[in-house]
Amino acid sequence: MPVSGIVVRCLDGCADAVAGRIAAFEGIELHGVLPDGLIVAVVEAETVDGEVALVTELQDIEGVISVQMAYHNFEDLEAERP
Amino acid sequence: MGLTRRDFIKASAAAAAFAAVGVPVVRPKGAQAAEEGITWGKAPCRYCGVGCCVLVGVKGGRIVATKGDPAGPVNKGLNCIKGYFLSKALYGKDRLTTPLIRKGNKMVEASWDEALDLIASKYKEAIASHGPDSVAMYGSGQWTIHEGYTASKLMKGGIGTNNLEPNARLCMASAVVAFMNTFGSDEPMGCYDDLDLGDTYILWGANMAEAHPVLFSRLIDNKLKHPGVKLIDIATRRTRTTKMADEYIAMRPQGDLAAINAIIHVILRDRLYDEAFIKQHVNFKRGKENAPYGLKDKEVFNETPADIKNLTFDEYKVMMKQFTPQWGEKISGIPAKKIEELARIYSDKSRKINSLWTMGVNQHSRGVWVNNLIYNLHLLTGKICKPGENPLSLTGQPSACGTAREVGTFSHRLPADMVVMNEAHRKKAAGIWGIDPNKISSKVGLHTMEMFRAIDRSELKCIWIQCTNPFQSLPNVSRLRKAAEARKAFIVVSDIYPTKSTEVADVILPSASWVEKEGVFGNTERRTQQWFKMIEPPGQAREDTWQMIEFAKRMGLGHLFPYSEKGFYKEMWEEYRKFTIGVGKDLAPYEAYAKVRGLRWPVKPDGKETRWRYTEADDANVKKGEGIKFYKAPDNKANVWFRPYEPPAESPDKEYPFWFSTGRVLEHWHTGTMTGRVPELRRAVSGATIEMHPEDAKRMGIKNRDKVRVTSRRGTIVLPAEINGRGTPEKGNVFTTFFDETKLVNELCIDAFDPLSKEPDFKKCAVKVKKA
Repeated sequence: MPVSGIVVRCLDGCADAVAGRIAAFEGIELHGVLPDGLIVAVVEAETVDGEVALVTELQDIEGVISVQMAYHNFEDLEAERP
Repeated sequence: MGLTRRDFIKASAAAAAFAAVGVPVVRPKGAQAAEEGITWGKAPCRYCGVGCCVLVGVKGGRIVATKGDPAGPVNKGLNCIKGYFLSKALYGKDRLTTPLIRKGNKMVEASWDEALDLIASKYKEAIASHGPDSVAMYGSGQWTIHEGYTASKLMKGGIGTNNLEPNARLCMASAVVAFMNTFGSDEPMGCYDDLDLGDTYILWGANMAEAHPVLFSRLIDNKLKHPGVKLIDIATRRTRTTKMADEYIAMRPQGDLAAINAIIHVILRDRLYDEAFIKQHVNFKRGKENAPYGLKDKEVFNETPADIKNLTFDEYKVMMKQFTPQWGEKISGIPAKKIEELARIYSDKSRKINSLWTMGVNQHSRGVWVNNLIYNLHLLTGKICKPGENPLSLTGQPSACGTAREVGTFSHRLPADMVVMNEAHRKKAAGIWGIDPNKISSKVGLHTMEMFRAIDRSELKCIWIQCTNPFQSLPNVSRLRKAAEARKAFIVVSDIYPTKSTEVADVILPSASWVEKEGVFGNTERRTQQWFKMIEPPGQAREDTWQMIEFAKRMGLGHLFPYSEKGFYKEMWEEYRKFTIGVGKDLAPYEAYAKVRGLRWPVKPDGKETRWRYTEADDANVKKGEGIKFYKAPDNKANVWFRPYEPPAESPDKEYPFWFSTGRVLEHWHTGTMTGRVPELRRAVSGATIEMHPEDAKRMGIKNRDKVRVTSRRGTIVLPAEINGRGTPEKGNVFTTFFDETKLVNELCIDAFDPLSKEPDFKKCAVKVKKA
């Protein structure tokens, strides 16, 4: 299962509300809400497809400016290469 | 229960994210162990022109992880969503792994020898019967510098034709011409640091939040830390960028030409300019007007020295009197009051002003002119070449700057700003290449649009396309596809996946991509970044340089590439570097790049990079006491150009009442060859849609996701409507993306182009819209 470490940037004063929403997502672990509107979280899903679906949903939450990825590990994905 | 390996990987993921935002976290001991066996290597991202620094983790010959590179100054440890697809783009099931040769309607597997022998025989045949200008090569801003250099030397110095073009003609040729005719040297004076240091950012038709998300984050960081920072979004479509802007100013397509002229009018009328700066650093010029749109084949339009008139500042002021704010409002749709306000913002001495633009300005039938006008704003107000205060044209491909522009893979160019029309330049190139100067033709080769039209005219007999997908990305693409399908030319395509271009090829060659080979890219801010090969390419896939050099050997041109196998990359680099030394474009020795996360040229004699050009504060080519010096321009002065308003090639009318524009979204990149390949990315934004203004949709009874037929004079297409989605075009405008290979939206686009840069206008043509 792929795992990624992400940073969610929120509008001023929105981080707590956004964190509340993120906490309810299956597949996302909240790791920290920082004072300057930044949220650190870990995303995991069966496939990269699943991860991206989660991240795309995060981007559409009210108060979210951007979602960026710091680390992505997908070592146990099966090789598709011919 | 103890912690699992998975927990440790998650701890590493969290620690990396914390570190990227400046919070050091100590990982549990096992986390380090969980990463054992992974070898990390540095590389620039494969996708856009931002040039983010990434770390690639390889285990057992396979990429198993990626990171935003914490040591990378561009992105400081964070990647955008495209980072998820970096390595996966290499691992698609349908990777091309063996050469294929057309036998009737079938593509049949072949050996490299068979394929290369066939290509060489076809090129030889065409050259013998029709001369060297009957063959061509079409490359890419995604080519590495070595690939572009190999192509340039092969075509210009070997075969003796300038029929070499990069797809960058489609994305920033207008920026190139304006840099050259304004400052005498391509590429920006400023850099990304300006995003951190400025306080006023004016976006001219650029959706940075989606097209350059990492740079936009830097800008937003600056804005969040400094509440005085102002972001003004001037556009024809509300986007994700608009949401973060302090102000959105709606503008009609082509309105930029009028609006900027009117802003300049106010700056001159109210004496808001910097007289001392102008006196010392600026010349005034008027160019050739009433330009055509390139719609006719073989149409020629150039601005020669004889066409250019020198003006005094007073003459210029008189000429600008006609462009009143009221006139500007009439054409651009931007209220006169707002134009007055923008003039005051641009000339506010207490503000550090930055202009940012991308394809809205560059893919424009008067793109060079709009670039010129933006420079005028900065030159008249003296707001240029200062930390935090510069104009910046953003690029779209990872090495459009490094390869297309610096190496000079355009049909008129040679490396380091030199051109084929100039005898001294040809001599210098021939000297470095060790060839007879007469071998390099003084005749400008075919530019991209003419190159593909020449196939239809049966004038171009052979073309080799590498690392790009023109039979999807060119405007009015059906004419070009029909010509190719009629087998009017012998077409070779080197790529990593099947594309709309491999579909029409006679030979398909499987290429190595990104970290399957060693390479160097050059990004938007003059940053040159090197990486080493980390994994093997699949099957028989080979580097594009290898393909070209093996072909060269068969053409009797092997002597042009005398590099040793072991020292190949360094030896070729050191040869290329000779072009750059002492001309203000200095590159560093190859080894220097292996150690750092890129260096911004000109690299100084002490090995340090240059962040701001033309200023004594940072550029070693400007002596202390000289302040600012445009030392690449003929008399050390930059040009302010008089550029009037001229309409686009096609505007809406009764029959075709909507403006049609194309562009990119966050999750997809260009024609989707790499991003569309990855199923998850395609699902995130599944296919092309047509964005409409809700009032237009309501008036026409169109609801969200309804099927809509969009028709131009060139083609027709059915797309689902997107209303109140991510982007909302202004009333009377519709917008779509071009990544979806099942919907060739470029069949609708007009093949009009800027007469100076020959860059097509993908942003403006007229369509009708009907519920399907």
